[in-house]
Amino acid sequence: MAILTERASPGIRPRRPYQRLLNSEQGLGYLLLVPTVLILVVFLAYPFVFGLWLSLSSAELTDAGRFIGLGNFKFEFTIDRPFIQALTNTFLYTGVTTVFKLSLGMGMALLLNQSFPFQRFVRAAALLPWIIPTVLSTLAWKWMFDPTFSVVNWAAVHLHLVSYPGPNWFGSTTTALAALMIVNTWRGFPFFGVSILAGLQTIPVDLYEAARVDGASRWNQFTHITLPMLRPVLLVVLLLSTILTFADFQVPFVLTNGAPFNSTHVLATWAYQWGVPGGAIGLGAAISLVLFPLLAILVAATLVAVRRPD
Amino acid sequence: MAGRPDDGFDPERRLWTPWSRRKFLSAAGLAAAGLAAGPLIEACGGGESTVATPSPTEPKARQGASIRLLQWVHFVPAADNEFVRQVNEFGDKFGVKVQVERITADQLQTKTAAAVTAGTGADIIQMQYGWPHLYTQACEDVTNEVNLLKQRLGAVATVNDAFSKVDGVYRAVPYTVVPNAWSFRTDYFQKAGLTGFPKTWDELTQAAAKLKAAGVPPISQTDGHAYGDSLTMWNPVLWSYGGREVNADGKTVTINSKETRAAIAWAQGAVKAGLVVHPEWLDPDNNQAYHADRISATLNGASIYIREKNEFHHFDKVTDNAVVPAGPKGLFTMNLIFNHAVMKYSPEKETAKALLLYLMDKANYLKYTAVASGYNAGPFAAFDNDPVFFAPDADPKMKPFQQVVQPGKWPGWPAPPSKQTAQAQTQFIVADMFAKSLQDNGNGDVESAVKEAESRLQAIFARPA
Repeated sequence: MAILTERASPGIRPRRPYQRLLNSEQGLGYLLLVPTVLILVVFLAYPFVFGLWLSLSSAELTDAGRFIGLGNFKFEFTIDRPFIQALTNTFLYTGVTTVFKLSLGMGMALLLNQSFPFQRFVRAAALLPWIIPTVLSTLAWKWMFDPTFSVVNWAAVHLHLVSYPGPNWFGSTTTALAALMIVNTWRGFPFFGVSILAGLQTIPVDLYEAARVDGASRWNQFTHITLPMLRPVLLVVLLLSTILTFADFQVPFVLTNGAPFNSTHVLATWAYQWGVPGGAIGLGAAISLVLFPLLAILVAATLVAVRRPD
Repeated sequence: MAGRPDDGFDPERRLWTPWSRRKFLSAAGLAAAGLAAGPLIEACGGGESTVATPSPTEPKARQGASIRLLQWVHFVPAADNEFVRQVNEFGDKFGVKVQVERITADQLQTKTAAAVTAGTGADIIQMQYGWPHLYTQACEDVTNEVNLLKQRLGAVATVNDAFSKVDGVYRAVPYTVVPNAWSFRTDYFQKAGLTGFPKTWDELTQAAAKLKAAGVPPISQTDGHAYGDSLTMWNPVLWSYGGREVNADGKTVTINSKETRAAIAWAQGAVKAGLVVHPEWLDPDNNQAYHADRISATLNGASIYIREKNEFHHFDKVTDNAVVPAGPKGLFTMNLIFNHAVMKYSPEKETAKALLLYLMDKANYLKYTAVASGYNAGPFAAFDNDPVFFAPDADPKMKPFQQVVQPGKWPGWPAPPSKQTAQAQTQFIVADMFAKSLQDNGNGDVESAVKEAESRLQAIFARPA
């Protein structure tokens, strides 16, 4: 390229630096990366580093604060009792809902993978819980679980499943957390279903035909073909769902806001409680970041597992 | 919340905005000039003793200015309309464009916190309870304007004063009191053989039992995370039995006491007798339950009665209102308190202050309370005889809402309002203590509830300010 430039006739102007950059494959590659890097820095790296700084500081909403090391984390683990409850609830909430979302999502995907009338319409409709704004659907659930006007209780009583007036869903510690899990599962399982459905449709049909020729039962086909072939999709979906559920704020905040007596606080709502109404934004940031090391390990392990050959 | 002088923090600066070199140099120059001028002033006979408090000056609205005011959505819709009418009237009179933004009260703090952190947003924000103590450095000093109002309207109501004034400086202009009293169904009470609303908490227990025996809807109240109704119920119960979250020094946690246990014992007895508590209820829920004929009585603002009288007309004839019952230590109440802060980041502070003075003008304010039908009470002495409560043709059923204003206290009382009392309030520590004790039909573990409340309060009050 340089030789060509040097041998150019006097009428042709020498290339400018930006032209050389655009003609260089490596240079152009880096140039095309710039917008992505900028977006990542502005919307991901900066907020994360800022959050990290806040968690290590005594910052208040109207006070930039000063560096206090791990003081906020120490306060949470040794003094702030509702934090431990929120931490426990977060693990319980994530664990239980993920199991249900995976099971229901798998069932939904297997059903939607069959041929039936209005298949496309049903597939689109099944995504509705995941598409509609969370706060709106959660408010609808709030009405459905309301002790005075509950349609859930009305139906359960008329089906003779429970005696009148039925459970006070948000009024007791056990049913309140269960209600949160029901709503989160309802909202989250279509994501599993559609993702798994996409995975199912990439499995070659001839694998199943060969298995049938060999006399494999439906269960054997599922465990020896479907599940192994779905492994990468399942791992990624499980990872995303786990991260999103660990950080869920909208459902617990709208439905119970921690009541009764802090029994339904999760880390996100407890972080909000300290950070926004309480004004202790540094403490709130620390609560938000408590699970970061665990989630980082989880992400790394999942990515390694996804890349591992079968 | 005060800035720390040892780390060079300047409480007057806007949050997160570093000083430019020019600003730093000019500030340093001014500081140096000030230091140099001190001895000179003293030498000339000047000194601290001769500095007189300046007389309040009237803020002037700037023609062509544009300001925004953030407020809650009023529980009496007509009051919102009257408020906007007055705001527009001010705008027309002074050539100012004023936009009123509304959001539900439980979401107001989130928006306020965002505005305070970002240093941008509404020029005036309605501060609930002790928010001026949480956001002190974002709130403009309005001492001058409050002093003007004091000259015109008399003394500030005690709770508004305590919430608005931080370290001797007014950070908000007192705006209103939303009195909380009991609304009850006279027909159900008569059916149960009751001639009036209970005057003491013990009488309330007896009334709850009689209502239950008569098979009519119960007396019900939230013990959940409702920013208004839960606090206005359980703090007065605690106080009226002598219980306190913290001492008057604002440091020593005193919740773990026999007085607190006495208050909880009353609550457990009342629940066992027939009082129904709802940990899942938020502020609108008891209103809905009352209008749906599901309960006989509840503690609330006057909106239940006002909306029955003005809109629904279902139970207005059989609804009456009553003052909060008293306990062994006396009558205590808690009301919702709102004050307006002019935000420091506002480029139109003078116009914002002028608007607030206009809204607090006696004639204007009385029009507002008249339209609100007594849902609001004024925060200055001049409004103590508000015709909405005292005119010959005033609705006598509204009188209890005026009577609960004077005995009102604030969360954390007798400690002065502070960042810590505000945090204890927003974490619903007192309400949670009662809710935990009242679970399983009034058979909750009292010791565990009290110790948990103590531990949570200690966590808040032990954190460095």
